[in-house]
Amino acid sequence: MGTLDYIWLGILAVFQGPEMFAVFGLPISVTLVMVFCGFLLGIAVGATPGLAGPVAMAIALPILISIFGYSPDALLPVMGFLIGIMKGATIGGAVPAILFNTPGTPDAYMTTLDGYPMAERGQAKKALRIAHLSSASGDTFSDLVLFVCAPFLAIFVEAYLDLPEKTALLILSLSFIAAVIGGSPAKGLISTGLGLLAVYVGTGEDFYPRMSMGTQQLARGFPITTAVLGVLIIGSAFKGLEELWQEKKSKGIIEPAAESGDQRLSFADIRRLSPYIARSALIGTAIGALPGIGSTLAATLGYTLGKNRYQKRKPAEDPDFGTGVPEGIAATEAANSSVSGANLIPVLSLGIPGNAAAVFLILAADSIGGFNPGPSVFKFTKDVVNPELVVAFGLFTAMFLANILNWTIGGVFMRSMGIMIRIPKQILLPVVLLMTLTAIYVQETRMEAIWFALGFGVLGYIMRGFAISPLPFVIAFILGGKLEDSARQAFSATGNDPFFLFTSPIAAVFMALSVGVILYAARKSKDEK
Amino acid sequence: MYSRNTSNFYLGLFCLAFALFLIFIWIPLDTDTGLVDKIRRRLVIGDALAPTIAAVFLAIGGLVLIIFERRVPSQPYMTGQNLRFISVTSFLLIISLILMRYTGPLAVWIANLSGGEPLEYRLLRDTPPWKYIGYFIGGTVMITGLIAQVESVLSWRTLRIAVLAAILLIVIYDLPFDDLLLPPNGDV
Amino acid sequence: MKIILKTAVAALGMAAMATGAFAADWTPPGPIKLMIAFGAGGGADTQARLIAEELEDRTGWKFIPEQVTGKGGLNLAVALKDQPNDGTAIGMAVTETLGYNMAAANAGISPADFTGITTTAGFQMGIVSLTTKGWTTFADVVAAAKGGEQIKFGVMSPKLADLAYLVGKAQGVEFNIVSVKGGKAVMNGVNAGDLDLGFMAGIQGKGVAAGDLVNLASGLSVPLVQTPDAPTLADLGVPFNGDGYFVFIGPAGMPAEARTALADAISSIASDESTKAGGLIKKAFGGSATIKGAELDALLADGFSGAGELIKVASE
Repeated sequence: MGTLDYIWLGILAVFQGPEMFAVFGLPISVTLVMVFCGFLLGIAVGATPGLAGPVAMAIALPILISIFGYSPDALLPVMGFLIGIMKGATIGGAVPAILFNTPGTPDAYMTTLDGYPMAERGQAKKALRIAHLSSASGDTFSDLVLFVCAPFLAIFVEAYLDLPEKTALLILSLSFIAAVIGGSPAKGLISTGLGLLAVYVGTGEDFYPRMSMGTQQLARGFPITTAVLGVLIIGSAFKGLEELWQEKKSKGIIEPAAESGDQRLSFADIRRLSPYIARSALIGTAIGALPGIGSTLAATLGYTLGKNRYQKRKPAEDPDFGTGVPEGIAATEAANSSVSGANLIPVLSLGIPGNAAAVFLILAADSIGGFNPGPSVFKFTKDVVNPELVVAFGLFTAMFLANILNWTIGGVFMRSMGIMIRIPKQILLPVVLLMTLTAIYVQETRMEAIWFALGFGVLGYIMRGFAISPLPFVIAFILGGKLEDSARQAFSATGNDPFFLFTSPIAAVFMALSVGVILYAARKSKDEK
Repeated sequence: MYSRNTSNFYLGLFCLAFALFLIFIWIPLDTDTGLVDKIRRRLVIGDALAPTIAAVFLAIGGLVLIIFERRVPSQPYMTGQNLRFISVTSFLLIISLILMRYTGPLAVWIANLSGGEPLEYRLLRDTPPWKYIGYFIGGTVMITGLIAQVESVLSWRTLRIAVLAAILLIVIYDLPFDDLLLPPNGDV
Repeated sequence: MKIILKTAVAALGMAAMATGAFAADWTPPGPIKLMIAFGAGGGADTQARLIAEELEDRTGWKFIPEQVTGKGGLNLAVALKDQPNDGTAIGMAVTETLGYNMAAANAGISPADFTGITTTAGFQMGIVSLTTKGWTTFADVVAAAKGGEQIKFGVMSPKLADLAYLVGKAQGVEFNIVSVKGGKAVMNGVNAGDLDLGFMAGIQGKGVAAGDLVNLASGLSVPLVQTPDAPTLADLGVPFNGDGYFVFIGPAGMPAEARTALADAISSIASDESTKAGGLIKKAFGGSATIKGAELDALLADGFSGAGELIKVASE
């Protein structure tokens, strides 16, 4: 089984799955249909302000698992659907940003700056086309980088990193994410600490469930869906509801977003936009590969760098960024879309999720079983087929497919999604809330799960109130178990060396970096006063 | 609650205090093995180490807040208004969940009052319409309550939307699937 | 669609059943909650769900599977203990849950709080290493350890850790015992070189057949099917064993007819290789091993008391 054989197996796994129906005699496998449906759903969800890709992923997951079951055959259809949503949402977010000055997803905020003015000038269709082109290009580029880098990184990690180094790498990832999220490394650390604390309740080697205060309810710990969905989705739903409530109190009514109207994208336009797209794609991919830094930062950086470049090079009479310049849209959208592919590099190769979408892919793999993202996936075993590797290449194929869909029908569908803005948010959010709770219950089947989720929702709300980002919490919750396991095993394997994190040079470097990145970010935030 | 420029300081202090409480009181009292344990003549990492590390993260975060970020210009915090909002919301949700859990068994109890073969909710938990009662009522109340809170009015339209949404969710999550249980049917 | 299919199969099944293969005419008073102590998607979980599915098709009884994982099956035990015992709540775990884990937990529960229904399959527990390590029998490992090598021994449960410790003690060496989560993790560790050898409960089958892995010893009270010459733990000086089975249990005090009906139904499926469940068991474990009734009661009780002994000896 060589590399090419595995790639071919992965492709086959996607195309030769159980047949859903046939088109002109060509069988269409269930995974294909799933990627397609997920993609459309993703665009719709991204185009709806108040919803985001991860919300759709969360709600769809238990339904998908119910349809496909828990066998490893379910992995590709279910994760294919989620990948479709992921890709769709990245281009969906631009739609209301351009048409109604409301970003559908947070990373589309900068798209409003140049997209909306263009729409006001009657060039909405052109703006949408530019957004689509940039988004699709960025996405495809970063996917290609993913396909190449992830296996190499995984193999590299396996070859050079042993248990102590892997433990140190996890600690470095947690520190890094805490340091770079938002502006405050301190708050990032607090978020991380809380997340770790939450995952350590009820777990552990002993038969007595730790930190459970002797109660039966806490004895099993907090299910991962309750913590992740609670803090991320329910918390943000609470925040959203509060904003609507405040809007109602101050303005008397809640304004639904309003409406308007036309144009083509010429070859000359495309040529002019290319350097901006290319630059932003590179920035986005580089940033995406680092866990924790999200698409919003990438979009901001892409926009800022593109703006600097533009201001320097433009002829004096051309309009500035922020007044409806196509390059502005291109710079942002390419950056925020190229994060999505690259974001899967740490997930697939190391098992470390870098953003909310990756979190849900891990949740799906966790729930279905049979696929454990991490270095063990990329073992190119010669004699026995490594099923996880086939799944990984199947996932790559699914992403590639999503890209093709993006280039072909993505644009058309995107442009027809302007209607989503009409759904009143105050109806949408409570329904999403109930949906999320139902989705959690259906998987965990105990009322305590709902209570836990609401508790985490309140925690997420409070955290947001203090500008503490919930993402480190969620990532720490996911990685906490792995961290403890690898630390325990490293301790045993090195013969009970208490300094096992420092005796190996690579591990020591990782630990030094962990401390360094926090200090550096703390310095910066102090200077930024 | 906090004056504008000191909420970071108090937040940091709170986190530090909580972390110390964890490390010195809660964790040692609530875990079986300590930080390290001797088993089979060898040292192994005990159950208390991981939560202690978590508390250390929390403590460092608190310290960095106090030392480095005390005077950062933007220090958002929870106001009294926030507190009011989340309390009302939580109250609404608690009521809805209690309804969700108990209206089903309540309905069975009422049905039993009229004599005949005594029914048990547990055995009916997979039979429509009994299994939908709790979810339908609790869900409708939840959505109606939340929308009404935000809009500050309770209208028939809201109720209609909530009923529709609850039915829609039942259709999506329960009808097509054999093994999925809507709340509270997994617990009884 | 599924309903139509199920009714058809149930009808067929009922006809086949007319031969009286199932005991009595006991039917459950309501849907049966099936608690599963294993993580979703794994082999054990799949086995439980397939058995439930086949059972639904054959008898028309309704099963609602539910994951209750953690603490070596004790979370399931604690949850199951207080459920109604009329046959509407059962669970699938391993015998180790009612043996070593229950004894070690010291939480006031014992096999007396449960009704054993039936086992389905037994584990071919072996001590395994890569062939490339050059060891062919356990004596080689001992020699290497005596020669000063730090041997990393992978285990996936506290009971196996105790057994590994005692083997070392009996042979006069000390192993570096590394606890990992799950049999697959032991296999991955051995393959990656993080572990020198480890216990494997049957997943070594393919590797041993292919020549990549070697069974250095049998962890059971009897020799392994694949490698009958490998010494057992008793041969190596350890008076305990790593025998284990998948077992279905219910809360204490289940009525005899419920117990027998369930036991017969489940065991007949497990031994029937033409069913998906039976086929899975055949492939993964070489065939079913169904122990029920009084024999099962004795097995569980002995497991519990024997575990007490093991824990005592291993803590010296």
